[in-house]
Amino acid sequence: MRTSDTTAAEESRAEADTVRGAGALLQTWRLLRRDQLGMLGLVLVVIMVGSAIFADLIVPYDPTQIMVGPRMAPPSWDHLLGTDHLGRDTLSRVIAGGQVAFLVALASLGAALSFGLLLGLTAGFGPQWLDNGFLLLFDGVRAFPVIIFGLATVTLLGPSLWTVIFVVAVTSIPIYARIVRTQTQAMKNNEFIVAERAMGAGTPRILGVHVLPNVIGPLLILASMDVPLVITTEAGLSFLGMGVRPPTPSWGTILNDGYSYIRNSPWPVIAGGIPIVITTLGFTFLGEALRDIFDPKLRKDL
Amino acid sequence: MTDQDIRLPKAALDRRGFLKGTAAVGAGAMLANMPITRHAFAQGAKGGTLRARAYADIDALDPGFYQNAYNVDVMNCIYSKLIHYKPGREWDWELQAAESIEQVDSTHIRFKLREGMMFTGGYGEMTAEDVKFSFERIIQHDSPVKGDWGPLERVDVEDKYTGVIVLNEPFQPLWNITLPYGCGHIVSKKAVMEATKNGGNFGMEPPCFSGPYVLAEWKPDQYVKLTRNPDYTGPDEVAFDEIRIFPMDDEKTAEIAYEAGDIDYTGISLASLNRYKQDKPDNTTIREHPSLYYVWIGMNTDHPKLKDKRVRQAIQYAINVPQILQAAYFGQAEVANGIVAPGLIGHRERTIVPPEGNQAKAKQLLAEAGAEGLEVTVDTLNASKWKTIAEIAQAQLAQVGITLQINVQDSGSFWTLGMESEGDRWKDLQLIINRFSMVPDPYYATQWFTCEQVGVWNWERFCNEKYDKLHNKAVSETDPEKRDRMYREMQDIMEESGAYRFLTHEGSPIMYRNTIVEPATRPDGRPLYRYANKA
Repeated sequence: MRTSDTTAAEESRAEADTVRGAGALLQTWRLLRRDQLGMLGLVLVVIMVGSAIFADLIVPYDPTQIMVGPRMAPPSWDHLLGTDHLGRDTLSRVIAGGQVAFLVALASLGAALSFGLLLGLTAGFGPQWLDNGFLLLFDGVRAFPVIIFGLATVTLLGPSLWTVIFVVAVTSIPIYARIVRTQTQAMKNNEFIVAERAMGAGTPRILGVHVLPNVIGPLLILASMDVPLVITTEAGLSFLGMGVRPPTPSWGTILNDGYSYIRNSPWPVIAGGIPIVITTLGFTFLGEALRDIFDPKLRKDL
Repeated sequence: MTDQDIRLPKAALDRRGFLKGTAAVGAGAMLANMPITRHAFAQGAKGGTLRARAYADIDALDPGFYQNAYNVDVMNCIYSKLIHYKPGREWDWELQAAESIEQVDSTHIRFKLREGMMFTGGYGEMTAEDVKFSFERIIQHDSPVKGDWGPLERVDVEDKYTGVIVLNEPFQPLWNITLPYGCGHIVSKKAVMEATKNGGNFGMEPPCFSGPYVLAEWKPDQYVKLTRNPDYTGPDEVAFDEIRIFPMDDEKTAEIAYEAGDIDYTGISLASLNRYKQDKPDNTTIREHPSLYYVWIGMNTDHPKLKDKRVRQAIQYAINVPQILQAAYFGQAEVANGIVAPGLIGHRERTIVPPEGNQAKAKQLLAEAGAEGLEVTVDTLNASKWKTIAEIAQAQLAQVGITLQINVQDSGSFWTLGMESEGDRWKDLQLIINRFSMVPDPYYATQWFTCEQVGVWNWERFCNEKYDKLHNKAVSETDPEKRDRMYREMQDIMEESGAYRFLTHEGSPIMYRNTIVEPATRPDGRPLYRYANKA
């Protein structure tokens, strides 16, 4: 008869074995299913991302077509979220606005992650003077208030989707780079790295094959939690009229137009605000759940 | 625009200062919640503060280089001039710093200053020499608004207070614009020479004041604070101790600020006019004034895409003006037939291109020019009204196969777009939605579209010899009927060039708290703060 202790030990060993390849995903999924808030987050994220991806298929009207209905109409069966000051269908604009929001998030976070990783690894693994130089640069860029930096850049480059992406990417790079740098430095003197070096592995191999996989996990979680931040930055710039060009729908422009005509109808503001709230909640819940799962120190079941 | 004289806010705020500030805010909030208390307070106290809103922050304080009407609103308070606009519903003028002024003949005007008009800062009494300096420097230093002084030859000083303005040729707008508006303000020769060495533009640093108010503080993008000038000895009794002008370019923001009690006097948008008429805030009066503004969509005639006149005309025909006005102004604005508002000499009764446009004609013109599938950009301010105009125009142009890309600009960057002195952005400028302010003489509107103004305020870079000739001739034409005909012809030339699609003259309703202020305005609703009375 085996004691329950040995059973647990064997189980955890078995679990550890499955934390390779497809098994890791499955295990994450199991853990996530136990976390109710995390699941709620996942559902919200799937809905928002899904509606953004399939926006072109599911919008009831062309989001930029004016006068598809009466102006400033309240919600009705024809227009589920009402219409705006130009008679455009607000629901269609909200859905299409999601596309812009997620495009900005994906592109800018993608760029920020890649550059952040590259710079962070270099700073963390490189010589001291390079590290100091990079740190100065990172902290210098981080010192800019994002929106002010955004407004200045927009004035110089002209307002467009790509300017917004550029602004968000540039201001996010130092954040990721700094984290990667610290992680790399912590890992630099680990025995397996020293062993690799002793075996004559070059710096690119050490960084790419051994250090990178160890730092990318936490970084991805961090990025997923940053999605709402990026989306609100885009919405903020668009709200100030400095984001995407009209008539491209963006949650920020829907909010701004709604604000201008809030006395005539509150619906555009509500319609523009809700997706931002849902997205923020979704990514925050999901991000926190994932962090709890991947960070062993926070795992209650270990 | 950094400035030592105009005290910028102290960056550091210590704890005590913060507490004081919050206490003051708290007290203010309490007062705001008690309209009766505030009413009694406002009436009981001598002086008090008038809190008003301007649609843009000041960016020029030298009257010789005044740029925009919102700057003149402030100049009106801090400087004095020979004559000024009489507040009311009819265009007229009254004496201010002058004791008398008379037209000796068509090119000579004799004035006599009041005795004892003092400049601040120990710069002494205002003399005819200062008047001469103030007017002549505008021509000498090639001011962007030297057109206001048109054919000024010189000013002859006869004695300490008397002088004669000598013109090369008769100049009708002198009485309607030059003397009572920006360029008519008198600055101290001694003070300006000390500050600038050559008498040029002193920008945002007025070396001294001569009006009943002084500029006490300017916090860029926050407020302009004018306080009573203790040295003022002129004829105007001002009612308020302090005038605080808050720049808010978005009208909706201003309306909300008014309702929240942050300001007591503001222009309101035509979009809100109906709603306010039906549901007025407490203690509020709404006054409607006809506006002289003119709003148009301009086209840069030098841009490669718009060089062909037929392309520009196609855009004119593609734009349906009433549709734009319905969307952007909620049907509260009338179609403009040109740049001169109804009621003034030179107002045109009809346009050449019908206001509703003609899509078939637009398509035909595009085909003739071989410009099908044209892609152009339009630059506009970031307030919702302008964006709406742009978006409707975008939809209208799309119907004739023109793709319009909208560039939204904030006011700081917008107002320098077409200026050659501010970089190369004018080269990329294509379409632009623009609005200019106006004073009651047609000359003031037409002067911005001459060849000389290309790259200054003429952002369409429209240049027509006949137009310029007519413009020069009309200013000295004394027969009103002939003058009227000339200005109408000039607007025909503008429209035929294809560079302009006139939209509207808007309207300028104002709203004020009738327990605080009895505002004084020009007939077009522009504030004359200096003559505002307390309720």
